[in-house]
Amino acid sequence: MWKIIVRRVLVMIPQLFVLSLIVFIMAKQMPGDPFTGLITPETDPNRIEELRQLSGFYDPWYVQYYNWMTNAFQGDFGQSYTYKVAVSNLIGERAFNTFWLAFVSTILVYVIAIPLGVLAGRYQERIMDKTIVLYSFISYAIPTFVLGLIFLFVFGYQLQWFPTSGTVSIHAERGTFEYVWSKFHHLLLPAITYAVLGTTGIIQYLRTEIIDAKMQDYVKTARSKGIPMNKVYSRHIFRNSLLPIAAFLGFTITGLLGGSIFIETIFGFPGMGQLFVSSIGSRDYSVITALVLLYGFLALLGGLLSDIIMSIVDPRIRID
Amino acid sequence: MKKNGGLFSILLLLMLVLVACNNTTENNWSGENTAVSDLPMEITNEGEAIKGGTLQVALVASSPFQGILLAELYEDAYDADIMTFASNSIFDVDRDFMIKDTGLARLDVDTDNNKVTVTIQGDYKWSDGTPLTADDLIYSYEIIGHPDYTGIRYDADMQNIVGMVEYHEGADSISGITKVNDKTIEIQFKKLSPAIYYGGDGLWSYAAPKHQLASIPVKNLLQSDAVRKNPVTLGAFKYDNIVNGESVRYVANEHYFKGKPKLEKVVLQVVPPTSAAEAIRAGQYDIALSYPANQYDGVKDLTNIDVLGRPELAYSYLGFKLGKYDTAQGINIMNENAKMNDPGLRKAIAYAMDIETVANRFYQGLRSRATSLIPPVFTSFYDAEFNGYTYDPQRAKQILDDAGYVDVDGDGIREDKNGQPLVIHLAAMAGSDTDEAITEYYRQNWEAVGLNVELTTGRLIEFNAFYDKLEADDPEIDMYMAAWGTGTNPSPTGLYGEEAPFNYSRYVTKELTTLLNSIDSTEAMDAEYRADAFKDWQDYMYDTAHIIPMYFRTEIIPVNKRVKNYNVSYGESTELQNIELVEEKPIK
Repeated sequence: MWKIIVRRVLVMIPQLFVLSLIVFIMAKQMPGDPFTGLITPETDPNRIEELRQLSGFYDPWYVQYYNWMTNAFQGDFGQSYTYKVAVSNLIGERAFNTFWLAFVSTILVYVIAIPLGVLAGRYQERIMDKTIVLYSFISYAIPTFVLGLIFLFVFGYQLQWFPTSGTVSIHAERGTFEYVWSKFHHLLLPAITYAVLGTTGIIQYLRTEIIDAKMQDYVKTARSKGIPMNKVYSRHIFRNSLLPIAAFLGFTITGLLGGSIFIETIFGFPGMGQLFVSSIGSRDYSVITALVLLYGFLALLGGLLSDIIMSIVDPRIRID
Repeated sequence: MKKNGGLFSILLLLMLVLVACNNTTENNWSGENTAVSDLPMEITNEGEAIKGGTLQVALVASSPFQGILLAELYEDAYDADIMTFASNSIFDVDRDFMIKDTGLARLDVDTDNNKVTVTIQGDYKWSDGTPLTADDLIYSYEIIGHPDYTGIRYDADMQNIVGMVEYHEGADSISGITKVNDKTIEIQFKKLSPAIYYGGDGLWSYAAPKHQLASIPVKNLLQSDAVRKNPVTLGAFKYDNIVNGESVRYVANEHYFKGKPKLEKVVLQVVPPTSAAEAIRAGQYDIALSYPANQYDGVKDLTNIDVLGRPELAYSYLGFKLGKYDTAQGINIMNENAKMNDPGLRKAIAYAMDIETVANRFYQGLRSRATSLIPPVFTSFYDAEFNGYTYDPQRAKQILDDAGYVDVDGDGIREDKNGQPLVIHLAAMAGSDTDEAITEYYRQNWEAVGLNVELTTGRLIEFNAFYDKLEADDPEIDMYMAAWGTGTNPSPTGLYGEEAPFNYSRYVTKELTTLLNSIDSTEAMDAEYRADAFKDWQDYMYDTAHIIPMYFRTEIIPVNKRVKNYNVSYGESTELQNIELVEEKPIK
C-alpha cells in the first residue's frame, strides 16, 4: 500500500503545478490590481505607479510566475498586499480559527446525524423515521445565512447564551483557562449552525444502509442464533452501514480548512472562507494564489485519505 | 479603500485619511439647497454621570481590520477609525480643517522663505511616560522617506521637502528638516501653497514614537509588535489589548495632553453589517462607527439610541468622457469632436435627472442633490447660491431642441445634430442591490426627454473593472457615474487638472487650468482670495457641465442613550476626554 500512496503523492505534483499556473494566469487577468482601491484625490498617481513597479506588476507573467514559484518552493508565498503580513502567517492564523470551528462542527454533525440515521433506519416508516426525514429535508433546504441569522438573533441577541462576534473575548487573558473557554464559547454557536445544516447526507446514507442491511442474511443468522435485536444493531448492522460514511471521511477532514463564507461573515469569525472572498475583492494576488493552491492540495489529499480509510475499514477493498 | 457609488464609493471613502476632529465649529450652512439631512449632530442625555465606565464601540465591518496602527503606515479606513481613540496627531483643526493653535504643536508658516516651524507647546509625554521631543516629529518623515518604505505616503507632496528625495535615495538625513531645539523643528519646502495650512504640501500632522520604533528597521515595521500589538500613543486612550482583526481594548491615558479622560476604558469590536442593527437594539454598543447607510431602517425607530447624522466629505457625480489621457506626455488631451462635447447636451442630461426622488426614495434622505463639487462642510469654499441642475424635463427638452438634437424619424428618440441615431453609453458601478433600479430610473428619465442611454457592457460594472475601463478611456464610455471622497483639503487640482490622471473626463481648457492654479497659488494664502477662487471654479464647472454633481451624502452614527453628551459635527465634536456615561450598561 505504501507504494500506492507514494505514487499518488507524486502524481499530485504535476497536478498542483498545472493548477498553480492556471490560477496565477487567471488571477492576473482580473480587472484592477491591489492598488486600485487605494486611490483618493489625495493619493499621488505617480506613487501608485511606483508601487506597482516595485511589486513587479509590469513584469511579463512568466517572469512573475517564475519568481513566485521559486519563492513558493522555499515556503515563501509573498506578502499580502492588503494585510501587509507574510501570506503564510496570515493563512496560518485564519486556518487555525477555521480548523477549530470546523473540527467542532464536524464532531457535532456526527453526534447529531449518526443516532438520527440509525433511528430512522431502524424504525423505518414509523413516526420517528418520518420526523427525522422531515428534519433532514428542512435542514437541507434552508439557506445557511437564513439559519445563521435566526440562530444569532435567538441565541445570541435574545437569549444571550452566546457571544455574537469574533473568536475570543477581549477581556480574556492569553494562556488562562478563561481564554480557552472564551474561544470555545465563541465558536460554539457557528459550529451548531454548521452542524444542524450539515447532517442531511449522513442521515440519508445511514438510513438507507440500515434498511438494506436489515434484509441481509447475516442479520437473519444473528437473529436466529438468539442475539437480542439491540445487539444486532450495534454489532452487526451499524458497523456495516458506516462504510459509505467512512468513504467521505477523507474529504470531510480536508474540507474542514475550506471554511464557510456565510457562517464566517454572519458571526464575524475571521476564517479562511472570508479571507478567500475578500482577497478576491481586493485583488490580493498573493493570498488568492496561495489559497487556491492550498485548496487544490487539500482536495487531492482528501481523495487519497478517503481511499486509505476505506481500505482500512473494509478489508475487501484494495487501492491498487 | 476609497471612491463613491456602490462598492466603489465605500472603498474610496474608506481610504480617506481621517483627521482627528477635536475642534470647534458651528454648522451654519443653512438654506434649502445645502443637502444635509434632518438628523441631529449632537445629543445630550439627562442623568448623573457615573465614575469611569467603559465605552462600547462597534466598528461595523464585514471583514477583520488590518491592525496597522501607525499613522505613517496604515492604509485602511477601519484602522483610521481605531486610531482616533489613540491618535498621534499633533495638530488641532478648525471646522474648515485648517490647523489651529490649540494642539500639541503649533504651526508657524514663513511664506516668504517657504519655511515652516513646528513647535511642541509644552512638556508632553507619550503614553508610556517618555517625553515627546522634536526627534519624534522628525522620525515620522524619516519613516516615510526611508528607501525601504513601501506605503503610499512617499508622494509628490513629501518630495516637496528639501532633501527628501536625496534621503530616499540613501542620504543620512533629510537636509531640509532641522532640529532647532528639543521642542522645535524647521522644515524647508521647495514651494508652499495654501494647502500647508491644512496639513498638505508635505507637512506631516503626526508624531512617531522614536524611542519605541528606532530600533526596528523600517522594512520590518509593518510586522512589528510596536505597530500591531502595543503601539505607544499621544491620544486620549492607550492600547491595552488587541485581538488581531477583531477587537481592541483601550484604557485612559494619564499622560494625555488635554487631561486624563473621564472614561476608564473603551472597548472596540468588529460587528458584521448583517447584525449591526440587532446588536445596537440589544444594547451591546454605545456608538457604532462606519454604520452602513443602507441599514438605516434597522435603527431609525429604536428607542434606546439616537441616530446622529453628519455630512460626509464626499460627492457622487456624473462625468462625461471628452478626451484621452496621454501617458507619454502625462497630460489629458481633450477631443473637440467627442460625442458628448456639447454643453447643451450635457446640461439637458443633467436637467432630466430626477435626483431628488432617488435621494428620498432609494437613500431615505441620507443623500441629497449635490449642488456643487465642494461639499457644504467646507463652509468657506462652498457656494451656497447654487441650486444645481434641478429636475426640469421641460427645460431639458428645450435645451436639446435649441442645441439641434431633434427627433427626425418620429420614434420619440432624438437623433444627433446631423440626424444620425444617437446612443449614449453610460458606465455605472455595481454595488448595493438598489443600484440596478436607480440606474434604470435615470435611463427612464432620459428616455422621457428623448435620449437613448444604454449601459456600457449592457449591465452594471464591477468596481475594479469599472475603473480599469475609465482609466483606459474605453471608447464604450460616453458618460459615467462615480464618486470622490474629498479628504480635508478640497483642492480640486488633483481631480480636474491638466496633468491629473484622475481627471477621468479628460476635460481641459486654458481657462480651467488658470482657475485651478489660482486656488493653489501663493496669493490664495489669503483666505478670502482662496474662497473666491473656489467659487469662480465652481461657477465655471457649473457652466461647462462636464461634471454633474449628483449627491451629497450623510453618514449616520447610532449613539446609545447612556452617552451623556455626544457631538459629531466637524470642528465642534465632543473631545474624547470629555465623554461621560450615565448608566453602568448600555440601555436596551
